[in-house]
Amino acid sequence: MTGGIWYWLLFAICAAWVLLTGIGVVALKNIVHAAISMVLCFFGVAFIYVLLNAELVAIIQILIYVGAISVVILFAIMLTDQLRGRLRLFFNQQSVFALPLVVAVAVVLTWILVTADLPGATSKSQNLTLAALANGLFNRYVFPFELVSLVLLAAMIGAILLTRRED
Amino acid sequence: MAAVDWYLALAVALFCIGAFGVLSRRNVIAVIMSLEIMLNAVNIALVAFANFVPAGAGKGTYFVLFVITLAAAEVTVGLAIAVANYRLRRTVQVDEFSELKG
Repeated sequence: MTGGIWYWLLFAICAAWVLLTGIGVVALKNIVHAAISMVLCFFGVAFIYVLLNAELVAIIQILIYVGAISVVILFAIMLTDQLRGRLRLFFNQQSVFALPLVVAVAVVLTWILVTADLPGATSKSQNLTLAALANGLFNRYVFPFELVSLVLLAAMIGAILLTRRED
Repeated sequence: MAAVDWYLALAVALFCIGAFGVLSRRNVIAVIMSLEIMLNAVNIALVAFANFVPAGAGKGTYFVLFVITLAAAEVTVGLAIAVANYRLRRTVQVDEFSELKG
C-alpha cells in the first residue's frame, strides 16, 4: 500500500488538514470555533491512522475523540460563561517566551529525526492484524487493560464529585 | 527520507502547535483542547513506529489504545476541575487562578 504517488498525495492532504485545523485550535478566538476545529483535526488524525493500516485505532479515535471527548468539551464550554473576565488579552503574557521555546523544541526534534537512523525501518506495513491485537490485549497486556478500567472508574467518580453542587 | 520520517515530522509539527497552545492560551478549556492535540501527535508517532519499524512489531498500537483511554480520563477530570473552579471564581482565564500562589 505504501509508496504509490496516490498514497503520498493522500498523506499530504491529510497532513495539511491536520496541521491547519491544529493551528485553528490554537489561534481561533471564539472558543466554539476552536472546538469545531479540534473535531475536524481529530477526523484528520483518524484518516492518518487509516493510511498507517491501523483501522481499529482509527475507529476508536472517531468513537472516543470525536464522539465522546468533543461532546464533553462542548458541554464544559456551555457550562462556563466565556464572556466574563478580561477578554482583550487573547494570549497570556508568557506567549512571548513560549513561541521561541516551541520553535527550539521543533528544531531539536527535527534535527534528531534527520540524523537518527531508525534500525530496520521499512516502507512495508508491520502492523498487527485485529485478531493478533485482541490476543495481545487480553493475554499479555491484560493487567494494564484492567488497570486502565480502574483509572476510568476513578476519573468518573472524581468528575461527579468535583462538579456536584453541595446544597 | 524513509516513510516513517514523514509521519514523525507531522507528529513533531502537531506536537509543537499543541505545546504552543498549552503555553499561551488563557482560556482553560482551550488549554485542555491543545493538550488533546499534543496527545494526538504522540499517538501518530506511536502508530507510525508500530507500522514501519519491525522491532516494535505493532506494539505501539497497544500504547495508543492506553493513551486514548487515559486521555479520556484526563479530559474528564480536567474539565470537571475547570467547571468547579468556574463556579467558585466565575472565570475560565488561567492566569486568574491564583489561590495557590505563595
